[in-house]
Amino acid sequence: MAKEPMKIGQFGMRRFEVMEPKNAEAIHVNSLKLLETMGIKVISGEGRRLLKDAGAEVDDKTKIAKIPGDLVKESMKKCPQEFTMAARNPKNDILLDGKHCYTCTDGVGLSTIDLETGERRGSTLKDVADSAKIVDYLPMMHMYNPLVTPLEVPKHAHTIHEFLASLENCEKHFTTGSTYQREEAICEIKMAAAVVGGMKELKQRPIISNLTCTTSPMVLGKTTDAAIEFSRAGCPPLLMAMPLIGATAPMTVAGATLLGNAQVIALATVLQLAAPGSPLCYSTEPMAMDVQSGLFEGLFPAANMVRAAHVQMAKYYKIPIFVGGWGTCSKAPDVQSGYEKAFSAFIAYLSGADMTSGPGLLENWTVLSFEQLIIDHEMFTMMADMLKGFPVNDDSMPLDVIMKVGHEGHYMGEKHTLDHFRQMWQPMVTDGQTYKVWKAAGSKNAVEHAKDKAKEILKTHTPEPLATDVKKDLVVLVAEGERSIPH
Amino acid sequence: MADKQSILMELENGIKNLQQEATVEATKRALEAGVSPVEAIEQGLAKGIRVVGEKYEKKEMFVVELIYAASIMEEAIKILEPEMKKSKEKRHSIATVVLGTVSGDIHDIGKNLVRIMLEAGGFEVHDIGKDAPTENFVSTAKETSAGIVGASSLMTTTVEVQKEVIDALRTAGVNAPVMVGGAAVSEEWAKEIGATYSSDAGSAVTTAKGLLGKGG
Repeated sequence: MAKEPMKIGQFGMRRFEVMEPKNAEAIHVNSLKLLETMGIKVISGEGRRLLKDAGAEVDDKTKIAKIPGDLVKESMKKCPQEFTMAARNPKNDILLDGKHCYTCTDGVGLSTIDLETGERRGSTLKDVADSAKIVDYLPMMHMYNPLVTPLEVPKHAHTIHEFLASLENCEKHFTTGSTYQREEAICEIKMAAAVVGGMKELKQRPIISNLTCTTSPMVLGKTTDAAIEFSRAGCPPLLMAMPLIGATAPMTVAGATLLGNAQVIALATVLQLAAPGSPLCYSTEPMAMDVQSGLFEGLFPAANMVRAAHVQMAKYYKIPIFVGGWGTCSKAPDVQSGYEKAFSAFIAYLSGADMTSGPGLLENWTVLSFEQLIIDHEMFTMMADMLKGFPVNDDSMPLDVIMKVGHEGHYMGEKHTLDHFRQMWQPMVTDGQTYKVWKAAGSKNAVEHAKDKAKEILKTHTPEPLATDVKKDLVVLVAEGERSIPH
Repeated sequence: MADKQSILMELENGIKNLQQEATVEATKRALEAGVSPVEAIEQGLAKGIRVVGEKYEKKEMFVVELIYAASIMEEAIKILEPEMKKSKEKRHSIATVVLGTVSGDIHDIGKNLVRIMLEAGGFEVHDIGKDAPTENFVSTAKETSAGIVGASSLMTTTVEVQKEVIDALRTAGVNAPVMVGGAAVSEEWAKEIGATYSSDAGSAVTTAKGLLGKGG
């Protein structure tokens, strides 16, 4: 299904840098200063032990680890610059090499806008399955993270139920966004291994990655235990900073960038000590405070600037970055969700983000809209078409054709046009009709076209089913997981 | 006969598959094999362009392909023309259409698309070009006993000229129905000036047939 993935800078397009290089250096230097002097609180016992063994000054009572700058620098150098996120179906594998960019869904909403009734309701396992199927169909969606948490499955084991539903409906790379406990991680790793044929195979073909959140300000939580398991299995953790500007982070863009960066490189240090040379990604999902109401929103320009700055920091460390973006506070797929999402995603990609997540969610990543998922994909295809740049050569500057057409003619019947027109972006749900045709077809806007498209996909698209024996193994593992994961 | 049939098929396929060289070659061979030019057009080239037109309407082919197919056909017809003049054979057509972009307006891509679709649909089109003086609409309509007159206008500043064209036609006693189109034209405007609106090239054939009472 996946088309040739877009290549940022394929034709030499220059990347946007939100900071002067010397300012990126300053963020790095001050991050080291924070980690060395005030240290970071590490809740994970194993995390503290790893740091202590490597020469950090660790106080087990306060759980604070002061990490020498050199240890951090060494650890950052061990992170692979380039690797592949494998998929259930190898044709959907994605290469992270700093030249490509991809989209992933984000988690985890609790409500869904029902595709049939248009009413908002609690999320179900069917919503996970349906949205996974749509992501499987959409050519420019590359990874799936369960968009919602089903309310009807056992709460303590929801992630493994989501993983099973995703594997059954989507042949693309899977990211888990809400695996907080070591036992969940172990179960998911076993499930992924069952799909690819064993633990050794999983290291070669990591079909799962783990979005692991650090806590602002300056804490590595229990989630670190789960991330360590993923690192050891060779499944890339995505080390996410979520500074809330003005609340859990300073009120300034640079301050929030600094705090988030210190947390990410501290966690990277722990994980490189646990599994040297294992793949991992920088990640960020900053939010900003509405200074009038005190509410937190993902969409504000300041938060998007922190995103761009963190992309630059990931480039500084030469590691791939996964940006949580496409934020909107809108409650429905509408004009507001459109402009907020477009700005948020585009600045991340222009800065060189390898991956972004967030398509399909509304109201600060809490509500799933199938229509919005289709529209966000459409926006990404437009961005992708711009981000790849354009070639400048004899064929793309056809002097002979221009002279042949001459003055006042047109190029529509030229062979050169025929040879190149298929490179032009094509809409899936964007209306480009004349008024008369549009009106005759029911005066539908993009949201209505997207609704039709989502229904059509769910009716007609069938991902390749899992092999019967694999499915059997997975069901057994989920049952085991329900027992082993602490309630 | 088999030879003739296969050449006609090659002409049709050449247009359908956008093969310029193959179409030109087949056209020359058609003349050598004694195929009549009218037959070469009607049983070969035109069949091909009709398929392209239909696919364009169904969004299976693109406007660029439609225009390219038409330019191949035009080139082929040029090769056939001398022979056609000699034989005095005439192409069959549903009706004659006089088509032009009105005076003051130099936008003719839309008008050209309409021409291609009308020709593919079986009409004989006399294209009087862009920025066409109003009197040319009148004189050509008279000379060709036009069944329909089509006037295109892209700019809001030139839609008024469409009314001028209609008034001039009626004053000169030409009562053929008038079709108007172009980006600046609306259904309401068409009604106001006593014309019929065609929103795009795809619907032009249906509209034209409707005007002649020949169904859609």
